Amino acid sequence: MIRLENIHKKFGEQEVHKGITFTARDRETIVILGKSGGGKSVLLKMIIGLIKPDIGTIEVDGKDVSKMTFPELQKLRFKFGFLFQNAALFDSMSVGENIALALERHSNYTKDEVIDRVEYALNVVGLENSAHKMPSQLSGGMKKRVGLARAVVLTPKYMLYDEPTTGLDMETADGINLLINELKNTIGMTSIAVTHDIHSAFLIGDRFTIFDKGKVRMTGTKEEILNSNDEEIRKYIQSEIETKG
Amino acid sequence: MATESNQIDNSFFAVVGRGTVLFFEHLGRYSSSIWWMLSHAHNAKEYSRNIFSQMNQVGISSIPIVLFVSMFIGMVSAVQSAYQLFDWIPKSVVGSFVIKSLMLELVPLISAIVLAGKVGATITAEMGTMRVTEQIDALDALAFDSISFLITPRVLAGTIMFPILIIFGSFIGVVGGLVGAILATDVPAEAYIYGIKNTFEVYDAFIGILKATVFGFTITSCACYMGYYAQGGSEGVGRATMNTVVVSCLSVVVMDFIIASVFT
Repeated sequence: MIRLENIHKKFGEQEVHKGITFTARDRETIVILGKSGGGKSVLLKMIIGLIKPDIGTIEVDGKDVSKMTFPELQKLRFKFGFLFQNAALFDSMSVGENIALALERHSNYTKDEVIDRVEYALNVVGLENSAHKMPSQLSGGMKKRVGLARAVVLTPKYMLYDEPTTGLDMETADGINLLINELKNTIGMTSIAVTHDIHSAFLIGDRFTIFDKGKVRMTGTKEEILNSNDEEIRKYIQSEIETKG
Repeated sequence: MATESNQIDNSFFAVVGRGTVLFFEHLGRYSSSIWWMLSHAHNAKEYSRNIFSQMNQVGISSIPIVLFVSMFIGMVSAVQSAYQLFDWIPKSVVGSFVIKSLMLELVPLISAIVLAGKVGATITAEMGTMRVTEQIDALDALAFDSISFLITPRVLAGTIMFPILIIFGSFIGVVGGLVGAILATDVPAEAYIYGIKNTFEVYDAFIGILKATVFGFTITSCACYMGYYAQGGSEGVGRATMNTVVVSCLSVVVMDFIIASVFT
């Protein structure tokens, strides 16, 4: 379980979080919705200790992330998979090397076993025989798939998705959403996804948290969100649905 | 509308004060990165993977430019020193002057300034791009120690390879001096070689190598720091790259003076 309690964060004069509280229960996918620039991605980085909150606690499996030492943080990160907004593949490495990097560093697999695991991970994301390609040879959707393969190759307990479908066409985005659901069903991960794509959010999420002006405006299921009496939330949902057509 | 309290104070003391705070902020963060790198040096698993490729990138690929520059520094030194000689001064002084100035000062310093542009800018651009495209965050997220993985091999490569480059450079510089002396002055080759043999001291070579080691560490660590903490997209990477070249060159000349004062 991941629990965030009263998170405050300022960057210079700009206060992006003004007391964020929410919980991601085991084996559920919670989607954080909100306008761009609202500090949603920062929150994901806080969960794995890349950024520290000014005030508040983040607990993963009952342990406070902000009080962890570096070796403890490394152990914690080992439990997480992270899909970055633009996949963040290592330019200087091939697709296969990108996926193999964590395996070589954190597992006792032999070289042949690593190659097999990489091929398997690429098969899962539908990119067979792509291990030799360089990231610069891939489209945006393919990069996201490789990023996903890299994130899940060590079968993490938790998965963090930062705008998993941003910048992709509808068909490719649906492919990614399908993959996220498949991974959740097969591996049984607890996931937190950040997006402003309401269509994708409703496809992958079990519960939804809406951020507004640095605070949680509402948390609930799809039905609860759609039937909310809060005028601001209704306006937000309506505008997002219209934007997506 | 901005209120008076939100406006930036651009008075002399305010600008100096902000600059001072910024300088110490950078110095503190740089020192803490270096300390992290040194205190995690035992964790060779993190950086051994990259060390040879970095030695190749920092050292081997810089051989042509260092040799080219050193050759011409040697030629110019020979021509300039011959030009300043009075008739009654032995011609072999040209060789003596060339070897001293090349080994002690010219090859280490000028090569370092050239390499601050080539190696330093490359490292900062590469690491800055990794930072702004979240590749460094991705490394951390994969439970790597990104400083040991990225900075340590580059700084080690610079510290090891710069002295080797300077040894080659000094040798070629001396050969360049001979070529310059033959082609553009009336100093005979025998007199030049006699001057070289008569003046060469191992201690001078040690000073040159010491300078190269310090410059190698300074340039690569500064470049890594600037790239690792770059922010603000491609514009920020460009700014960081420019800062690397400026700060590296300034640091090199300051370190040059300190080493010269202490050891000569």
